[in-house]
Amino acid sequence: MLSAISVSEGSKVYGEGDAAVRALDGVSAQFEKGKFTAIMGPSGSGKSTLLHCLAGLDSLDGGSVRLGDVDLGSLSDKELTLVRREKIGFIFQAFNLIPTLNARENILLPLSIAGAAPDEAWYHTVVGTIGLEDRLTHRPSELSGGQQQRVAAARALVSKPEIVFADEPSGNLDSKSGAELLDFMRRAVDEFGQTIVMVTHDPFAASYADRVIFLDDGKCVGELADPTADQIFDKMKELGD
Amino acid sequence: MFKVALASLRANKVRLLLTSFAIVIGVSFVAGSFVFTDTINSRFERLFQDISAGVDVYVQPVPPEFGNDFGQVQVSMDESVFDDVLAVDGVAEAEAGIGGIAQLVDKDGEVIGGFGPPTLGFSWSHNPDLTPLRIAPENGRPPEVAGEIVLDVGTADKNEFTIGDTVSLLTTGPVEQFTLVGLANFGDEDNLAGATLAIFEFEEAQRLFGLEGKISQISIAAEAGVTAEELAERITQVIPDDVEAITAAQSTADQTAELQEGLSFLTIGLLVFAVIAVFVGSFVIYNTFRIIVAQRTRELALLRAIGATGRQVTRMVVVEAFIVAVISSIIGIVGGVVLSQLLAGALSAAGLGFPDGPLTLLPRTIIVGLVVGIVVTLVASVTPARKAARIPPVAAMQAELGATKRKELRTRTLIGLGVTGFGVLAIAVGLFGNFGGNLQLLGLGAVVAFVGISILAPIAARPFASFLGWPIRKVYRVAGDLAVENTRRQPRRTASTASALMIGVTLVVFVAIFAASIKVSIGNAVGEIFPADISASSTNFVSGVSPEYTDQLRSLPEIGQVTTLNNIVIRIQELDLDTDVSAIEPDTAPGMVFAGASEGAIAELGRTNGLLVLVDLEGADEQVGQSYTIELPNGVVDSATVVGTFDDGNFGDYIMTRDRYITGIAPVTDGFVLANAAEGVSIEEARLAADALTEDFPNVQVQTKSELVADAEGQIDGILAIFTGLLALAIIIAVLGITNTLALSIIERTREIGLLRAVGMSRRQLRRMVRWESVIIAVFGAMMGMLTGIALGWAVILALKDEGLGDFALPAVQLIILIVVAAIAGILAAIYPAWKASRMNILEAIAYE
Repeated sequence: MLSAISVSEGSKVYGEGDAAVRALDGVSAQFEKGKFTAIMGPSGSGKSTLLHCLAGLDSLDGGSVRLGDVDLGSLSDKELTLVRREKIGFIFQAFNLIPTLNARENILLPLSIAGAAPDEAWYHTVVGTIGLEDRLTHRPSELSGGQQQRVAAARALVSKPEIVFADEPSGNLDSKSGAELLDFMRRAVDEFGQTIVMVTHDPFAASYADRVIFLDDGKCVGELADPTADQIFDKMKELGD
Repeated sequence: MFKVALASLRANKVRLLLTSFAIVIGVSFVAGSFVFTDTINSRFERLFQDISAGVDVYVQPVPPEFGNDFGQVQVSMDESVFDDVLAVDGVAEAEAGIGGIAQLVDKDGEVIGGFGPPTLGFSWSHNPDLTPLRIAPENGRPPEVAGEIVLDVGTADKNEFTIGDTVSLLTTGPVEQFTLVGLANFGDEDNLAGATLAIFEFEEAQRLFGLEGKISQISIAAEAGVTAEELAERITQVIPDDVEAITAAQSTADQTAELQEGLSFLTIGLLVFAVIAVFVGSFVIYNTFRIIVAQRTRELALLRAIGATGRQVTRMVVVEAFIVAVISSIIGIVGGVVLSQLLAGALSAAGLGFPDGPLTLLPRTIIVGLVVGIVVTLVASVTPARKAARIPPVAAMQAELGATKRKELRTRTLIGLGVTGFGVLAIAVGLFGNFGGNLQLLGLGAVVAFVGISILAPIAARPFASFLGWPIRKVYRVAGDLAVENTRRQPRRTASTASALMIGVTLVVFVAIFAASIKVSIGNAVGEIFPADISASSTNFVSGVSPEYTDQLRSLPEIGQVTTLNNIVIRIQELDLDTDVSAIEPDTAPGMVFAGASEGAIAELGRTNGLLVLVDLEGADEQVGQSYTIELPNGVVDSATVVGTFDDGNFGDYIMTRDRYITGIAPVTDGFVLANAAEGVSIEEARLAADALTEDFPNVQVQTKSELVADAEGQIDGILAIFTGLLALAIIIAVLGITNTLALSIIERTREIGLLRAVGMSRRQLRRMVRWESVIIAVFGAMMGMLTGIALGWAVILALKDEGLGDFALPAVQLIILIVVAAIAGILAAIYPAWKASRMNILEAIAYE
């Protein structure tokens, strides 16, 4: 298995003394290249923390994250910024877009920041796939929630990152818009070979993934390959008990 | 609600600090102005009381009613008055005194003083009951014969004079030498408020000040059982009409009032700057509270949702403002005390000394400081507070805050134009109208116009940001794009932040234009009206050029024609008018002094000893041929006929002869002596020769025409620098306002910044974004200020055209520098917010609710 990113023995503690919370407690996992992986777990299981650490937004207290052959823990803030800029794409639950930029500018934002010229053909491919060609000059406030998330997804893909992280991307959307977004993410993996890691607590959303990793109390507690929503639901119930 | 307000303040210390700074500065200036002038007044009042200790009544010539703004007119009375006074029943002791202006010359040959504390010369009083002056046994003895002098201990120490030294002294003639025989203390003090005291024997003093047979003042102590008022009343019965008897208390009060009037320009000046600072500060306060309310929409909505009324929410914001106001006003009052000390220190360093003594902090100062601080803050926070009340409870539940609704463009334009128009109208009436209170109207108009322009400014903010942002976008790409868009997204915020800066810049530009225009006018005027090669004038305010100097100058072979020029105020009784008049020498004036009068008119002036009238004066033509009764400041009355006209407003409304002028002054000195080089002698040679004479006249300075122009221009530059320095304060407040707005905006955009960082924006790019946003706001404010300032300057100069100030000059270089300075100020203002933005924790930012 070719892994795009991996975490080994990752641990992370918030707070001190009695108030200390062990968010990650020796978690190890590998995420395959060209696959769509979902991380699931109940609230407080550490899934968001794991995502943040994988994406270079936060650092581990113990263990390591390797992106390709780079140990993220050894990088300075400047180098991490460059890694995020060049190798990572993001889709957040909400507030994904800069309100002062229109859709096109938002999509191209990572490239603008890097000062790189966009690959026009790729841009059109991505934009065509999200189906928002006629909304590109609109500001985020003029787009629906679903459209905004699709613009965010396009932004995550446009710089051809090695890996895209999504944090509850469909969490704020109605079911139809959510399905459209997840569909798009699925196609990105199937058609363009994009690697995606998504955190979610929604079994339906996770069912779009190739593989689901379950987290509880900061540890890996199981996984499912090519899961259905029902299988995931059962597994989650099991964890909840 | 009070608790919520307090908690909110505690949670936002930086915001509190920046908001309060604006108020602190404003209140400091208000309080500082009062403390400063109150302190000086009370110290001088005490001083005047000390001087008159032991004296009940003074008999002195009635002071001039006009033309004596600087106490330059010396009046005296006949010696015989003393005998009349002595005979009055109830007079226990009386002594006559002589007083005048006497300038000491230090060991380097430079005149001491002359700009601030008085340089006094007077006769020694032999009656210790009537004078606070004492000579300690080890400090020599009083002056007994001509040629002896006593100095105050302080002045002697400062200038290293010791008993037995020869001291050079300047009154009206050439320098005279005296032998120092004693050093006097003033009560317990070594010195009297920085004044220099030169004391002579009585008849020597009479000779020195040209008062033979005359006296300046009589000090009187009453017999036991007779009140000062009674005695003054009795003495009034026996003295001539032009002499008055006043109680010592009255004399102290008069002197204090006179001083107060003399200092009023300073008080008013400081208060004007205080008003400017407060006005600019109110923009900053308004802006801060507006942003705070916008940011706390959800919190305030939550309060509404759990049952708070709109009024309660308003009250909460107002209470928060009130607390800020009270704290800052108190700090401001303390700051005012510090400021007054700094001011006194600066003036002392500049040679204007004040008596020592305690600070005077009157309850009035504290009350005014508190009221100003609180009222301004509350007024500025009222609109945001009312806006807070209109937040619907449902806003608490909305995930995303909707884009702020902008006031309809048309309404805003109309209101803005209306208010601006009203302000401009008031300015125009103030400038061109002709009734009392023009200056106040001008100031009020400017304030209203500023408010109007700041209402209009949001309309210009977007196009301007696009225009100015174009090169920034080109150079800085995405950081530039975001910076420009950020200034465009809330045009009201951008505009009101910039408006604060606009006010300061407007005033700086206005003052610069005014100064540049005056400089051009002066350059032209001096060249035109003083065609003479060289001029001689006094180095200080209190003495003039001695006629003996002029005589010696005339006799030099290097010097050709010599003439004099003086200014005086006269009263024309028939016209009930006190007016500025120039005095010339008709025989020598032609070719030397050019007032736009024909040679025939000048010859006629000399022949008849009459008057020339300014041709622009209303009814000037009808005045020619009229005979008027004119009164000089010292009370001399004579008649004079208007025999012709002149047309240069620089010479006042009338021109008369020097012969008439010298009847009105004593001792006789000249303001300006003008001279040409003799045939075949270079200007430089003539000047050196004239300079050589000044050894005996150390208060005289000789200048060539170009030096005279440079001197005048230098004085204007000095005044310009002081004004600009004071106005810089308004600019600093405005720049802090930019910092405040940006810092608050950064907090508001926490998530956005987190997102930018997440997708790969470096800290540097982020700082750049904030920095250019700041620069755009600053330059926008500076540009608005520049345009307003140019307009105001143009209008004022147009209005003053008739005052001999006609040429509108645009100091282009200074204006460009100002814009550059504004841009730099923008960069400085952004340091803190940019740092804050770049340090923001990404995780917290993206988790920000």
